Amino acid sequence: MPGFGGFRGGRPGGPGKPFGEEEFNLEQMEKETEEMLKMRFLDKKNAEFTATGGGFVSLKVGDEEYARVQVVRMFPFTDPDHYISIRTSDENSKEIGIIKDLKDVPKETAELLIAQMNLRYFTPVITKIINIKDEYGYAYFDVVTDRGQCRFTINMGGSSVVHLSETRILISDVDENRFEIPDVMKLSAAERKKLDLFL
Amino acid sequence: MKKDLFPKAVLKLLKENGIEEEDIFAASATDMNTDCLYADGFVVVTLKALAIVMSAPDDTEIRSFKGYMSKESAIASSDKEWTVKIYDLKTTENLKAEPQVACSVLTADIDGVTYRLTAFSNLYKREMHQLVRTFDKICMETKAAEKLEGKESFGKEGTGRPEPEKPESPESKEERIQKLKVYGKDEDNKDEYCPTCGMMYPDKSRKVCPRCMDRRSIFMRVLGYFKPYKVKIAGLFLCYILTAGLNLVWPYLNGTILYDKVLAKNNAFLEKFGIQDGEFITALLMVVLTMLMARITIIVIGMIQGVFAAKIVTSVVRDMKKSIFGNMGKLSISFFRSRQTGSLMTRVMSDADRITGFFIDGLPTIFISGFTILVSLGFMFSIKWQMTLMVLVVIPFIMLIGLKLRPRIWTQFGHRHRAERAVNSQVNDNLTGARVVKAFGQEKRETTRFEKNNSRLREAEMSIVGTQNLVRGSYSGIFEILNISVWLIGVYLIMVTHEIELGIMITFVGYIGQLQGPINFFSRVFHWWSDSMNSAQRMFEIIDSVPEIREAEHPIELENPKGKIELKNVSFGYEVNRPVLKELDLEIKEGSMLGIVGRSGAGKTTLVNLISRMYDPQEGEILIDGKNIKDLSFKSLRRNVAMVSQETYIFMGTVEENIAYANPEASHADVIRAAKLASAHEFIMRMPDGYDTRIGSSGRELSGGEKQRISIARAILSNPKILILDEATASVDTETERDIQRSISYLIKGRTTISIAHRLSTLKDADYLVVIDNGKITERGTHKELEELKGTYYKLMELQRKALALKGIE
Repeated sequence: MPGFGGFRGGRPGGPGKPFGEEEFNLEQMEKETEEMLKMRFLDKKNAEFTATGGGFVSLKVGDEEYARVQVVRMFPFTDPDHYISIRTSDENSKEIGIIKDLKDVPKETAELLIAQMNLRYFTPVITKIINIKDEYGYAYFDVVTDRGQCRFTINMGGSSVVHLSETRILISDVDENRFEIPDVMKLSAAERKKLDLFL
Repeated sequence: MKKDLFPKAVLKLLKENGIEEEDIFAASATDMNTDCLYADGFVVVTLKALAIVMSAPDDTEIRSFKGYMSKESAIASSDKEWTVKIYDLKTTENLKAEPQVACSVLTADIDGVTYRLTAFSNLYKREMHQLVRTFDKICMETKAAEKLEGKESFGKEGTGRPEPEKPESPESKEERIQKLKVYGKDEDNKDEYCPTCGMMYPDKSRKVCPRCMDRRSIFMRVLGYFKPYKVKIAGLFLCYILTAGLNLVWPYLNGTILYDKVLAKNNAFLEKFGIQDGEFITALLMVVLTMLMARITIIVIGMIQGVFAAKIVTSVVRDMKKSIFGNMGKLSISFFRSRQTGSLMTRVMSDADRITGFFIDGLPTIFISGFTILVSLGFMFSIKWQMTLMVLVVIPFIMLIGLKLRPRIWTQFGHRHRAERAVNSQVNDNLTGARVVKAFGQEKRETTRFEKNNSRLREAEMSIVGTQNLVRGSYSGIFEILNISVWLIGVYLIMVTHEIELGIMITFVGYIGQLQGPINFFSRVFHWWSDSMNSAQRMFEIIDSVPEIREAEHPIELENPKGKIELKNVSFGYEVNRPVLKELDLEIKEGSMLGIVGRSGAGKTTLVNLISRMYDPQEGEILIDGKNIKDLSFKSLRRNVAMVSQETYIFMGTVEENIAYANPEASHADVIRAAKLASAHEFIMRMPDGYDTRIGSSGRELSGGEKQRISIARAILSNPKILILDEATASVDTETERDIQRSISYLIKGRTTISIAHRLSTLKDADYLVVIDNGKITERGTHKELEELKGTYYKLMELQRKALALKGIE
């Protein structure tokens, strides 16, 4: 049976320890809280990442071994190369440790992790806008991305177009497939005009 | 997926690898390879194998997502190089569609190692989910079959766990397995495409293709709303026509008759009207009187027209809002989950106004303006065609300016609208969050932020004014030039060639003036029209939405309900690939109390939402007294199942009205009794107006615990057979909880009660408890049984006991 996540918070006595009739222990409580707040940073000294045959990444840290880990950004938009959370791969994933800076791990490892994150954060980057037509509450986009030409539809009512910054835009289509424009100012004036409705 | 979507080459390749088309149990297309590069592919499940067919990634191809996807383009062109990988089902386990941030990855354990098989965009989420489900079921069936065979080979009766069903004959097992086949059964998908253009519907629940929806049919539907007011509309049109007619006569009166006939002392003209020769003063008086009368008539007609228009507009807007609001109430909770409440409000409030505005002001003006232009030009031609040609040359220029500059204004309007929204939402944000802003001393920063939005609004406003001035300026400029040139020609014709007289000249210029408005109108009417049709489309979107939860055609009424609840193999998720409840089985005996325990997000609230039929389960069924709740009438379901949820809502109104919400006919005594039972009576009586105190958004503010007690009283008064308490005492203090607890123990007599609670003390009366984790029941039994189990429940008990001990220390 998978762990009972929600009650993990207190975890008196730690796993395996019988609960018994023992008295309430303030010191132990403090220790647990400290443990809870502690961030374990992973770097080239304590962690070893390897590619698995199945296309994922495994991790060995101290005497713990994980056959497959998830690589998750804490600040995917604002700080993609720092604070990367390494998590267990089950449904109620738990944090194993944090990579504070991708430079803290060997270059090959960083590349391996980036490849994993590229899968996770798959978002084609729009490089050219061919046409945008809005009609009856939907906008039909025809664009060129770094992955080829894409045609998709967004809902005009909701929050399909999110401004990550003054010039950076994230667009989600009706199925929530994502597309990104990293810098609107890099588009031509004519293209920006087509996009005007969303700026 | 659709059967005919497989390219022939793929079927051939599968055949070469031992998979016939009829072997396929489930299939899904995919659009990414393992490295998340766009490529076409297919995933196929048979009873023996899982096959992945992929083409090489190709970024020269156009990717079409929902809304663009046509049947034809969904069929991957078959002249590709396809490669296939086949995995034996015996060694393949745990096929999973793992959702990523904006796509999914298909993984499976092959010989114990997790492999990334392929990736796919959200376009194929549904299809792929179905495939994974089919895979799971096949695995389960085949494993069960293996077990059965294993037992048989020992030649003994199974003595282990008693099987619920008797050992079946092999045919029925075969049949059961065949039932799992989803490939080729396109019931689910056949409605996804528009039959006219073949495009996929953006919203499956609404089978209207926005691309094919023809504006004419929307237009006709809107006209339907005006039908009841035929007579008034006829009156309105009469007014329009009279006004237009009088306006057209005006330049003639004012020019030709006044100048050329009366002022020029034309005796022949006077004779026509039976006025004696030379009585020009009388004639002048008469002309002036006629002119005056004409003006007064125009004004009076204008007033009548205003009254008609106001009557029609208000009635039609009222009717439209009524049908929008009426249908919104019928829609299921899922509709409100998926759309922002704000945009719904706009729809109800402003769309109806906008539509009607166009139909009352815009539509008649199209006819009137067209009529005016044609008649004026006709008159002008008959007066002097040479001068008219001059006008005809200029008109296209004017139209051109309109067509060029107006789109700019519309985008600027859009900008202003968004800037306005930003300002409004910040004001709103700051008013609601005033306490937080103050507490953290961030007033200054908020002001700066506001200033930024505010100046953006100002800039937007300025640019609109700028463009409008430009349009207005160039319009009048061109008209002035036109006027002056017509005057010049006219003066030449009067003074030099003596072809025309002054009055004719004035009439002509008058007609040019008449043209100005209609031409201006035509340059913006198209936008107006499409804007109002957009509003109409949005309005019909709500009116046409079919509620997901529908009452059965011949609903059963629950008579003398007992309150027994059964859940059989229930699975549910708000999104297709994120199941919240997984194959849940549960029986709640009549009159008993079930306690549900679990961490937040485990699916407890979802479970009770299914029982009260806010949503329908995707698989399995829920029975009340042995009857599927889908067959029960809404009335008997709502009357017999009441819920006190963690989200309490207080409507605008008095305390009494709020308590008697489900049962407005309840007597004062009933309301008081319910309030007492819910421990609400005392605090209600402490309010100055007692049960008549106005509460809700415009009235007195209640604390969380007070709101909760009112909603408990509301549930008590509705006197249901099944009572659901979803964290009903979460926001009251321990003492009040004890009071409510006491009333609940009284309340649950003779009812089936389901109670969800974090505080286990709340559940002390429960006859039976279940622990839900991750959408599954992990522990079940009585208090005693669960304590002895020493599992999650026991851990939780200990934790809470300790927390109480901590309180003791304080």
